[in-house]
Amino acid sequence: MDLDSLRADLENLRRGALERIAAASEPAQIDQLSVDLLGKKGELTLVLRGIGGLPAEQRPKVGAIANEVRQAIEGALAERGGELRTGALGRRLQAESVDVTTPGRPIPRGSRHPIIETMAEIAEVFGQFGFVVYESPEVEDDLTNFQMLNIPPDHPARDLWDTMYVDIPEHLLRTHTSPGQIRVMHAERPPIRALLPGRCFRYEATDASHASEFFQVEGLMVDEGTSLADLRGLLDQFAHAMFGADKRTRFRPGYYPFTEPSVAFDVECLICGGRRCPACSHTGWMTILGAGMVHPVVLQYGGIDPERYQGFAFGMGAERIANLRHGVGDLRLYLENDLRFLEQFP
Amino acid sequence: MKVPLSWLRDYVDIDLTPEQLAERLTLLGMEVQSIDRWGGDWQDVVVGELLSVSPHPRADRLSLTTVTIGDGEPLEIVCGATNIAVGQRVPVALPGAVLPGGRRIGRAEKMGVVSNGMLCSGEELRLTSDADGILILAGDAPLGRSISELYGDVVLDVDVKPNRGDALSLIGLAREVSAATGAPVRWPSIDVHEEGPEVGTLLDVEVVEKELCPRFVGRVVNGLSVGPSPDGIQMRLQAAGVRPVSNVVDASNYAMVELGKPTHTFDAAAVHDHRLIVRRARAGERLETLDHVERDLDADTLVIADPAGDLAIAGVMGGAASEVSDKTRDVIIESAIFDPVSIRRTGQRYALRSEASLRFEKGQETRLARIGADRVAALIGEWADGTIARGRVDTNPSEPEPARLPFRPARVNRLTGTDLSHEEQRSLLDRVGIATEEAVAGEMVPVALDPQAALVEPVPGEALVAILPTWRRDLAIEADIAEEVTRVRGYELVPGVTPHEEMPHFRPTPLDVRDAVRQTLSGAGFTEVVSYALVSPRHVDAFRLRNPVPSLDDEPSPGGEPITVTNPLSSQHSVLRTGLIGSLVEVVASNRRHGRDEIAVFEVGKGYAKEGDRPREWWRLGIALAGSRPASWDRPAFPFDLDDAKGVIELVARRMGLGEASYSPELDEPIFHPGRTARISAPGLLGIVGELHPALTEAWDVRAERVIVAELALRGLSAGRPAPVRSVPPPRYPAVERDLAVIVAEDRPIGDVARVLRASGGDLLRDIRLFDLYRGAPLASGEKSVAFRLAFQAEDRTFTETEIDEVVKSVADALGREVGGRLRT
Ligand SMILES: [Zn+2]
Repeated sequence: MDLDSLRADLENLRRGALERIAAASEPAQIDQLSVDLLGKKGELTLVLRGIGGLPAEQRPKVGAIANEVRQAIEGALAERGGELRTGALGRRLQAESVDVTTPGRPIPRGSRHPIIETMAEIAEVFGQFGFVVYESPEVEDDLTNFQMLNIPPDHPARDLWDTMYVDIPEHLLRTHTSPGQIRVMHAERPPIRALLPGRCFRYEATDASHASEFFQVEGLMVDEGTSLADLRGLLDQFAHAMFGADKRTRFRPGYYPFTEPSVAFDVECLICGGRRCPACSHTGWMTILGAGMVHPVVLQYGGIDPERYQGFAFGMGAERIANLRHGVGDLRLYLENDLRFLEQFP
Repeated sequence: MKVPLSWLRDYVDIDLTPEQLAERLTLLGMEVQSIDRWGGDWQDVVVGELLSVSPHPRADRLSLTTVTIGDGEPLEIVCGATNIAVGQRVPVALPGAVLPGGRRIGRAEKMGVVSNGMLCSGEELRLTSDADGILILAGDAPLGRSISELYGDVVLDVDVKPNRGDALSLIGLAREVSAATGAPVRWPSIDVHEEGPEVGTLLDVEVVEKELCPRFVGRVVNGLSVGPSPDGIQMRLQAAGVRPVSNVVDASNYAMVELGKPTHTFDAAAVHDHRLIVRRARAGERLETLDHVERDLDADTLVIADPAGDLAIAGVMGGAASEVSDKTRDVIIESAIFDPVSIRRTGQRYALRSEASLRFEKGQETRLARIGADRVAALIGEWADGTIARGRVDTNPSEPEPARLPFRPARVNRLTGTDLSHEEQRSLLDRVGIATEEAVAGEMVPVALDPQAALVEPVPGEALVAILPTWRRDLAIEADIAEEVTRVRGYELVPGVTPHEEMPHFRPTPLDVRDAVRQTLSGAGFTEVVSYALVSPRHVDAFRLRNPVPSLDDEPSPGGEPITVTNPLSSQHSVLRTGLIGSLVEVVASNRRHGRDEIAVFEVGKGYAKEGDRPREWWRLGIALAGSRPASWDRPAFPFDLDDAKGVIELVARRMGLGEASYSPELDEPIFHPGRTARISAPGLLGIVGELHPALTEAWDVRAERVIVAELALRGLSAGRPAPVRSVPPPRYPAVERDLAVIVAEDRPIGDVARVLRASGGDLLRDIRLFDLYRGAPLASGEKSVAFRLAFQAEDRTFTETEIDEVVKSVADALGREVGGRLRT
């Protein structure tokens, strides 16, 4: 073995290697070539075995040439390998592409009932002012539903509540959430801030604006100085929270046997903004709740001294609030449970 | 109450538009519910004058008229009435006119003659009740003017609250207008021309029940002729919603609308011995009332009788026998005060409520008995040309003085959140006729009266006394004065403040668990429903559980008897449901009928029952599934089955922090499929879940192959909060999983296998999950292979294979021992 033939072998190796690298068509071939050419038992190693037969002074020269060949092969491998890998990825990406305009895979929707949610929202607004939720029975006694609310038997005001009676003596289906006032007063001492949501019943034929079963939210606040002005302040904030801060409100006299003075609370018509339309019976206003200062007799029945304490109560129909907020025109929808209606709600 | 403004103006000047007036009344508490244009529907009906009246050439009963309406050619109109004559002014409906009730008038040929319109009767225009003749208008009615403009009116519909019986009258509402505007109230002048004999010679009254009839005023009018009232009066009554009948009856009704005082007129010829007796009816007595219904009377009924028998149910309805008729010549006027409760009960008992009884029920001012008798006598004298007997029969002429109501202006301010001086409050009260003066020492302020008086002695100099007008029977306590002060001043002027008083102590809301459940289920794709609590008897019977789901916490337990409404609107809603399953099945059924396939719904609601005379209510969660999760373009539809329901129940249990659910077969509930129903139990959760029995699916027309329903009792559903979660840090060492396939007998419930795995897996077993179920070769028939993936986890180390092998071995032993299982290898 002499220097020239070794040099020629190296030169042949380089040429052949570069040709094979150039001819490779898959990244895997490059990996294989890298092993075949430069590996521990690769072709370059084989050629360099001949270096041992050379005189010592010639060896560095061959070493330099071998290095040059190695670098050339490495460079070619890297370059061609890069080219091939990029191409392969590109082909894969292309092969994997999908029609991105197909609809998403549906997740079942689910929804919560608008009336229960409305009551929850009402509770949330008043909750910010310290009102906490209580509940009272739906099958109520006449005493609590009427008499303790200053509506004795044979009182003309009983006409305001068409009542369903049940086969338990002196019991009925509560006509309003107001008996809850009595039950809260029996359970708590002032200061009282209570909210009473729940189902009520009336002897009333069902149509778009009447329901035999419906939901009310009652409020009660009692302390030494709780006044009509507190009531108004809270109701204004409530109306603004539910219907928008720009809505005007109106405070006017109402009538309930269990409040004195009694209040009716209106919000400017949400349809016409107060310009008078059929939806507001051409008044420009929509009544959203009734309220008033708790009648002293009711406080007495609740075990509270009406000279020292006073308070207000209010009661609203959850359906009324939900109608206005969600544009519902027919009360029957709430208990019909047509999923096409209910699934519009979150 | 319907209030024609032209009539109201008799009693008070009104310088406001109808809309303004309506708003002022509403702000005073007299809510105007609508403003109606009475007569607004008479289009193209105008005043005309008859130029000629001649017989129709071909019909005896018709006349041929020519009529001018001021300008243009006179109109030829055919008319069937006989009361017309040349020169009269009459209402002419021109071709194109639309009369009340929608009747259209056109050009029409009548027996060979073209009629260019129609002459109208009072009845056709709903102006009077006279249908026989043409309405003859005043001679100065302007030709061509629209009848609507001349005789139309604006009518307010005022919702008078039950405590303000005094305002169920034009006088009462005039007082409210006066409070709003300051214009004075004008009482009608009541001229009673007494020309007849002393009334005592014509009428004798005995009140037996003085409690029930504290005052009875009678008057007599003789020699009258019954006929229609003057047209103008009939028009007023029509506008006020009262049907004109005859001059005598109209007089009574007119006074009722004007004064709020119901009165009754008897044909004197039908009253034996000129004697009226106010007493209770006797058992067995019968009376034919004005509506020609024969009624059995009872001893709770107050009647007006004569010595021969009953004439009227006092305050509610007169009797047919003594009714004023065309032949009546003499009448007795009854103007009485009755006990409101007695009248109300009687009206309810006989299902008879009249405008009169409605007013009696609310209580009447004593002096109205006198004024009403005078007014009706005067009107009958005038309209029916009768002779009024001298004086009144009056069983109790004393009329009470105005009552005194002491109040503290400072308490008025405390109640209303205002700061009004004594003077301001006094002048406000003055506007509703309430005079005031300084309280006398010792006068007590009524904070409350019935049933338990709370009388407070005021600090000297700090109380006033309201002198209450006799008609204000609604004012009794200090708070009533606060309302008067506030409403006269205007509720709008009550300031709005945010309460600054002490807050109550914290109290958890009872809704926490319910809300968490609702969020969980809606998030899992379920829709919340709210269904009727009142259902049909058939529903309650069909869906009652033999063993109801027991209650948790201290909620009342179900059981006992269903609660039934004694006066239901319909049998469809007459019994309170005892559970939720039936309601949910009905929801599924109705939605299936709409063509809906996928149904996944839940309700958080109450069941009700009674135990003896004690009502009970309890909260339950109900779930129903039917149909399938729909297919998407690359996935098949998933029909719902029992395991979907169990899965969502387990989800709820996990979210609520309740324990692991276990199931046991329920074979014995008739509403359920006996092979596809389980009782569930977990710490804090009890319930039943299963497929509805196919017989019920069919009976309730559900139109779904399978309906899966569940009813659950949940800890805290009635009032509770989910317990705070106790967390553990995530494990630092990896879990090790082992798959075990266990061969057991076919009839061995998988639940048993799972129970053994849990019990024998030791402390390190964290989780087991069923992942395969296999039947067939190489297993013997009657065997199945149940494969679970077991996850082991230690806090402090990674397991060695040997450790796990040991656990698996003891699990395998336990399986062999307890469920006859062997591992499949
Ligand atoms: Zn409007």
